[in-house]
Parts: sequence; structure tokens; C-alpha cells
Amino acid sequence: MKREDIFSSLSIDKSLANKYDFNPYYCCIESGLNDPILIDGKEFIDLASNNYLGLAADKRVIQAISVAAGKFGASMCGTPIATGSMILLQKLQKRLARFVGFEESIIFPSGYQANCAVFMSLAKQEDLIIIDHYAHASLIQGVRLVGCKVKPFLHNNMKHLRKLLEKAAEYKRVFVVTESVFSTEGSIAPFDEIVKLCEEFNAIPVIDDSHGIGVIGKTGRGILEEKNIKDFNGIYTASLGKALANAGGMISAKSELIEYLKYSCPGLIYSTALPPPVLAGMEAVLNIVKEEFSILSERMWRYKKLISGCLIDSGFILTEGQAPITSISVRNVEECALMAKLIHANNILVTPFIPPSVPPNESKIRMIAGANLSEKTIDKALNIFKKVARELELK
Amino acid sequence: MTLEERVLNVIEENLEEKAEFNVNTDLRDELGLDSFAMVIIVNALEDEFNISIEDQHYREIKNAKDIVNALREYCPDLKEA
Ligand SMILES: Cc1ncc(COP(=O)(O)O)c(C=O)c1O
Repeated sequence: MKREDIFSSLSIDKSLANKYDFNPYYCCIESGLNDPILIDGKEFIDLASNNYLGLAADKRVIQAISVAAGKFGASMCGTPIATGSMILLQKLQKRLARFVGFEESIIFPSGYQANCAVFMSLAKQEDLIIIDHYAHASLIQGVRLVGCKVKPFLHNNMKHLRKLLEKAAEYKRVFVVTESVFSTEGSIAPFDEIVKLCEEFNAIPVIDDSHGIGVIGKTGRGILEEKNIKDFNGIYTASLGKALANAGGMISAKSELIEYLKYSCPGLIYSTALPPPVLAGMEAVLNIVKEEFSILSERMWRYKKLISGCLIDSGFILTEGQAPITSISVRNVEECALMAKLIHANNILVTPFIPPSVPPNESKIRMIAGANLSEKTIDKALNIFKKVARELELK
Repeated sequence: MTLEERVLNVIEENLEEKAEFNVNTDLRDELGLDSFAMVIIVNALEDEFNISIEDQHYREIKNAKDIVNALREYCPDLKEA
């Protein structure tokens, strides 16, 4: 193949964006995650970010980040096994581990990287990985990299999972991989049942709690707290860039396993560690979560209920979710583009999901209302949704 | 049960949601199955018929009829009621 042909074969079909003269992706936000945010000099209500607790631009977090930058500078210019291993990283790894119920954790530059890297270090070709049909792209990529047999199970379907486990005896090791909160629709995995099935069949449960940490559980400690799972004998991963409002990805497990990964996981060992200001920002967020989770979470849930109620009353169809996420179910990508454009034209930023981010025929528009938004902002958003519904003639 | 019925049953039992389809329905384009959904069905067919389906074969599968034809070709011993 000629080089020109190779490059021209790698183009993106933008016909949908061109047809509606609207592309919601890679928009240029000119402010922090404030209430409101700024896009093209215009004020927008942020219902798109994963800033669940609203702490990304909290003054106390900003202050902690500034102090750490003053003390430690921009970066340690080294991987976690080398100069990246500094006091803030070590402290945070312990603190995050305890937060979710372990002794030790490791922190990667991103959740995506953690998920991609971990399976290569744990699984071998002769193993079986059973994974939820709707698991995040990073988990799918991670398990595919192993080159072992991969069997997806129907989304949150315990009968199907059991059936696959019953047929898994021929494999050396069996992993069962899922997410806690499925973020495009807000469903929560029956992870207590999955853990029980794993015990019955001697399989290793792997949970990605990216949208659960700082969100669910009585004190915000995520899925293990939410489902009252004690002494978890599996692998826990989470992004630190959502409710915890910074960046990075964590992996927790029994201490021996974390020690093993520290010396065997290339995705950790060969990648520059998170910079000190981010680590300090995380620490500050955890301090706030400890003191204020109940207030922040009450607000987050109230906003979700207000938005969901208003959308249903206005004639939108929502997916049934148990997390503080509201997703409008649309018939197809065309309807998704049209609806997202109208909402955007009314200065609300939302997240449209079209395939391959979601299965074909399951396009969605997702909203997360962070606890930093004011009641007045939510009121304004509700009025906008009513107006959009009238324009779309939903009722 | 005919081979056709068995294949349609396997597909029906392994969909995320109930759907109307027949032997000619394109599983990807009309039923909207993504690659993992196809793997779920292929794994279930492997169990149902006690066979192993190679990647290259399953990429060629468009609809239930293709599956039935492939089963007849590669597994002539399968009993048809
Ligand atoms: C479930 C899930 N896992 C992993 C990731 C990746 O985490 P990160 O953004 O930290 O790379 C995301 C989203 O970003 C996610 O939603």
C-alpha cells in the first residue's frame, strides 16, 4: 500500500457533524470547572464533567496544589520506581488504599493506563477473562492485550455469568472483570453477587470503581462500602480524575500483590509518576470528602433527582440508573446530534455518547450535576430542558 | 428442533434485550450487535454445538442463515430433527 493511501484510509467520517453543523467533541473550555464555565467567551452550565462532588476548582484544593508546587515544583521527572517515588506519592498511596479498604495501592498516571497495564502482569495465555459486555474501553483493551480467551457476559446478568463460570474449569486462572457504576447509563453492578460467584468458582474479581469512588457508599468510599464487601480478595482499580477531581489511576489489592505489581508492571514502572501538585490536590480532596461528604453527596443526589424528574415530566426518555447520573435515551445518532445541539445552543454542556462508545442503537446524552453548582443554576437548567422539550415537540 | 430453530434460540437467549429477528436479519447492521455481543453469541454457539469457531469464520457470519450453513458444512454429523 502506498503511503498516501495508508494515510487517506485513516480518516474520520464527520458527515454527521457536518450535517448538523455541530461537533460537541474537543470543545475548547476557557475556564476551570466553575459555575458557570466559559466556552467561546459564553457562559455554560457544566453537566458534562465527572466533577461529581464539585471539588475540581475548590479553593482549598487550589491552595494545596499551589503550596505543593512551591515546595516540590512541577514534576519529579521520574517514574514511580525511581525519582517519582516521593513523599506525597507514598502517603497518598497508603491513604487511598485505606480509603477503599486495603493496606496498599499504587498510583498510575491515568486510570486508562492502570486498566491497560494490570492484566498483562496478572494473566497468562492459558487463562480465561470473563468481562461485562459494557465494560470500559480501557478494561477491554487491557484484557485483549493478554492474548488469552476472553468471554464477555451479558451486562450485569448473573445467570449468564454463572453459566460461563460453570464452564471455566479447564482454565488455569479465571478473572471476572466489571465496573461498579456504568457511566453512560448509571447502572450499578451487583458486585456483592459477583464476589460470591467468584468465591464459589475460585475466580478473581476485578472491579473498576472509577465512577463509584467518592460517589457511592455511605461515606463515599465506593463500591466495596456500598455493597458492604469486607476483606475483598480481588483487584480494585479506579480513576482519580472523576469525583476525586484530580488525575491518575489507582490499583489496590492484598499487599503482596501490590508489591508484586510494583516490580512487575511495565505500565507503572516505565511511566513518569504523577506530579507533586496533583498528589497534593488529591490529598486535599480526601480531606474535604472526610468532613463534607454527606453534605456534598446530598446535594449531588438532589440535583440528579431534580434533573431526572424534570426531564421525565417534559417527555424525555431516560435510562434507568441508580447512580447520580442522568442519561437521556435517544433512538439513533441523528436524534442524539439534534438534541445535543439544541441543548448546547441553550448553553448547557452535556456529553453525547454515540457508537462505538455505546452499543449501536443505544446513543445517549449524559448529564452529571456536580455539587458545586448552585440551586439557581439547577433551576435555570430545568427551565432550559423544558424549553428544549417544547422545541422538540416531545409532548 | 431444527438446526435453524436451535441457532435462533441460541441468539435469542444471548441478546441484551428482546428483539424481533429471523434467519435473514443482519446481526450487526440490523440487530445492532457490537463485537462483544457477537463474541457472546459465538461462545454460546460453541457450547450449544460443542464446536470451536475460528475468528476468521465468525467474521464472515452476517445472519443466522450463515451460521446454519456453516454448521451444515463443517459439522455434517450434527443431527437435524
Ligand atoms: C470506567 C472507567 N474506567 C477508566 C477510565 C479511565 O480513567 P482515566 O480518565 O483516569 O484514564 C474511565 C474514564 O475516563 C472510566 O469511565
